[in-house]
Amino acid sequence: MDKLVAQYSRPSHQNESYSEQEQQDLTESLPPLSLKFALPPVANPSAFLRAMTDDHSNPSCPIKLAHGTTTLAFRFQGGIIVCTDSRATAGNWIASQTVKKVIPVSRLSRGEDKPTNDPTPGLLGTMAGGAADCQYWLRYLSQQCTLHEIRHKRRITVAAASKILANLTYSYKGYGLSMGTMLAGVTPQEGPALYYIDSDGTRLPGNLFCVGSGQTFAYGVLDANYRYDLTEQEALALGRRAILAAMHRDAYSGGFINLYHVKEEGWVHHGFDDMNPIFWKTKLESGEFSNVTSEL
Amino acid sequence: MPGFDFSNYNRNAALHARGVPLPKATSTGTTIVGCIYDNGVVIAADTRATSGPIVADKNCEKLHYIAPKIWCAGAGTAADTEFTTALISSNVELHSLSTGRDPRVITCMTMLKQHLFRYQGHIGAYLVVAGVDPTGVGLYTVHAHGSTDKLPYVTMGSGSLAAMSVFESMWQPDLNKEGAIALCSEAIKAGIFNDLGSGSNVDVCVIEKDKPTQLLRNYEKPNERGLKERNYRFPRGTTAWLNQKVISKEDMKKYVTIETLSGDDNLAAGEKMEVDV
Amino acid sequence: MTSLMDHQARETVGYSFSESTAGVKQHGFYPYTDNGGSTLGITGSDFAILAGDTRSTSGYNINSRMVPKVFKIGGDDETGEGATIVLSVVGFAADGNALKERLDTVVKMYKYQHGKPMSVSACAQRLSTILYQKRFFPYYVHAILAGLDEEGKGALYSYDPVGSYEREQCRAAGAAASLIMPFLDNQVNFKNQYIPGSGEGHALAAKKPEPLPLETVKGLVRDAFTSAVERHIEVGDNLQMVIITKDGIEEVYHPLKKD
Repeated sequence: MDKLVAQYSRPSHQNESYSEQEQQDLTESLPPLSLKFALPPVANPSAFLRAMTDDHSNPSCPIKLAHGTTTLAFRFQGGIIVCTDSRATAGNWIASQTVKKVIPVSRLSRGEDKPTNDPTPGLLGTMAGGAADCQYWLRYLSQQCTLHEIRHKRRITVAAASKILANLTYSYKGYGLSMGTMLAGVTPQEGPALYYIDSDGTRLPGNLFCVGSGQTFAYGVLDANYRYDLTEQEALALGRRAILAAMHRDAYSGGFINLYHVKEEGWVHHGFDDMNPIFWKTKLESGEFSNVTSEL
Repeated sequence: MPGFDFSNYNRNAALHARGVPLPKATSTGTTIVGCIYDNGVVIAADTRATSGPIVADKNCEKLHYIAPKIWCAGAGTAADTEFTTALISSNVELHSLSTGRDPRVITCMTMLKQHLFRYQGHIGAYLVVAGVDPTGVGLYTVHAHGSTDKLPYVTMGSGSLAAMSVFESMWQPDLNKEGAIALCSEAIKAGIFNDLGSGSNVDVCVIEKDKPTQLLRNYEKPNERGLKERNYRFPRGTTAWLNQKVISKEDMKKYVTIETLSGDDNLAAGEKMEVDV
Repeated sequence: MTSLMDHQARETVGYSFSESTAGVKQHGFYPYTDNGGSTLGITGSDFAILAGDTRSTSGYNINSRMVPKVFKIGGDDETGEGATIVLSVVGFAADGNALKERLDTVVKMYKYQHGKPMSVSACAQRLSTILYQKRFFPYYVHAILAGLDEEGKGALYSYDPVGSYEREQCRAAGAAASLIMPFLDNQVNFKNQYIPGSGEGHALAAKKPEPLPLETVKGLVRDAFTSAVERHIEVGDNLQMVIITKDGIEEVYHPLKKD
């Protein structure tokens, strides 16, 4: 009887409005980058998500998410080179050619508020896989790094930052996140450090990584020409050339070449340049890409 | 062997099962109607052909010739309606020559339904058959699976409900020619404006006893093309090119014969094409 | 009845390789409808334009010929008086409406709590997090947000359904995006256009994009839609154009073809 009273003493229309907690969330103009997500009312949310959004297993899925990429990063004697393409695809559609796939991760370096030529302190993250997943969780990481800095009065190590992200992706394993990201930074404790983290929960330290649909093409160029003792100019040129190879052969990569160099003092941006003139310059000046001809 | 070639059937079914999408056929997601009147019959159609949500042809012809006094309006897969009506048209002509009589609408309708039934709906032709023959006026619908109907006014295609709503509210048993044309045109316009699969113009065909058949192509044009505000002509040299090669008329003559036409436009083109300026 | 043939084998075709596992899993739960329509935004040096058609469809039917897709965000009352930010949503209209309501509430609360209007960049970031909150049950929408930035320049942000976003000069979304976006690439960012006579072969210089004047952009928007209407069945009826300048927000409607 008590159960019945409890069930009917509150009219059911009251359930239609927002709960107290939800109301508070709504009125909070600054949200926490929270770990609360709405789930569909079905037994198996991840299968539902896959049916709606995974265009690999279901080419006619209704919601197409932005995907596709080539990104690379490698350590050398002068620091770390980070280089990416700029294309985002949704199915066969090129959603954008101007995506910024290198995301600064740290308090002082929200990229947009410091447009100087001086090195900007902080870490760099790269974006491959789901664009929204990478943007959101790297921002979350950035928040955690800032908190770390405030609590401990020193900048976070790349090892610690990468672990925060890896623990996060591991806790969401099976939910359908899709990200393959690299974290690069130079800290007093570690020197130049590079980590690979993906949505399976993998976390690997290393000298050289390529991530994304065009990774094999980039590895081909990088492995053939990589040495630890490259000069700064050689390293920048190699990063650019490896991405160019991937953009040329991978249909899901293209647009602009985004190049960064991470040094002890911080990271330096070395341009966001249209691949087309760079491709023709490479072909005509060094005789590479000789399979591409304009002969009639 | 005459007829259809099924040799790729198994391969395509296998590919489809592995997730390869089927090629999109141009379909005339259409409004077609027909209506008899005191001395004959009128059929009408819209002129939009679609491929998915894209308009493939803004002014296609959905009224098909079968015999001088038998015409057909087609909905469904564009290629199927065209080839089925052409095939039956040939057979009707042969039949008429061998019997020495004018073809009958019911003969034509029977040939169509037997042909379509044999292919169990795989030939996606949905037709309105109309005409005048020695027995009188005939108006039928034929569905892709082979079923038929005989009615005083009919509609078919994706816009059939919109068109039928016009017939059901305005049709009268004793229409004259003008009234029948106006009613059919109004029904097609209901389809054009309320059904996304139908659009552009109204085509009408009037078949009357003891009079030549009239095909009123683009009888109404309620959807004239909007004008562009800006000019999109590029200055010469805007497009980049890497190499050029000039092939002279003399070089061409080695491979093909060349005839020069006079400057008269009407000589070369049959129907004038709509071109952006 | 006994049969020599396996039932399964009779239904499928006899081919040697394995049955596909990529087949679509059938779900009884399908909470989305595509309501068609298209939106488009372009910015200039001191303005931003957001536009959309007003047709709402489902399948081959027209639900309504007058459902606006562009909304003022954070205005004082129902009319949106005093708003400085504009949002367009295309895709599933119910999700679009819910998203608009949510963002509107947030922007209003920000104003009441901080005593100043929210900047477009802040609003853009907030919209991203709102979309990502439903990462596992997405809003089926493509959103575009427009306003003026801190320097008074036109600002335009475009979103995917789960919140990845980017600031751009122009963007088309929705049913006719694949028809309009290449037009915009060519006419706004001058893609594939070179300066005649600026050089031979590879020396030919590409035409550099620069902010366009307001009247030019209005013309481009109207032409983009009159063209989209010709070739896409889900676009039509009316064009809603919202122009954001320092003097406020102007909203105009133009008729489009209704077939």
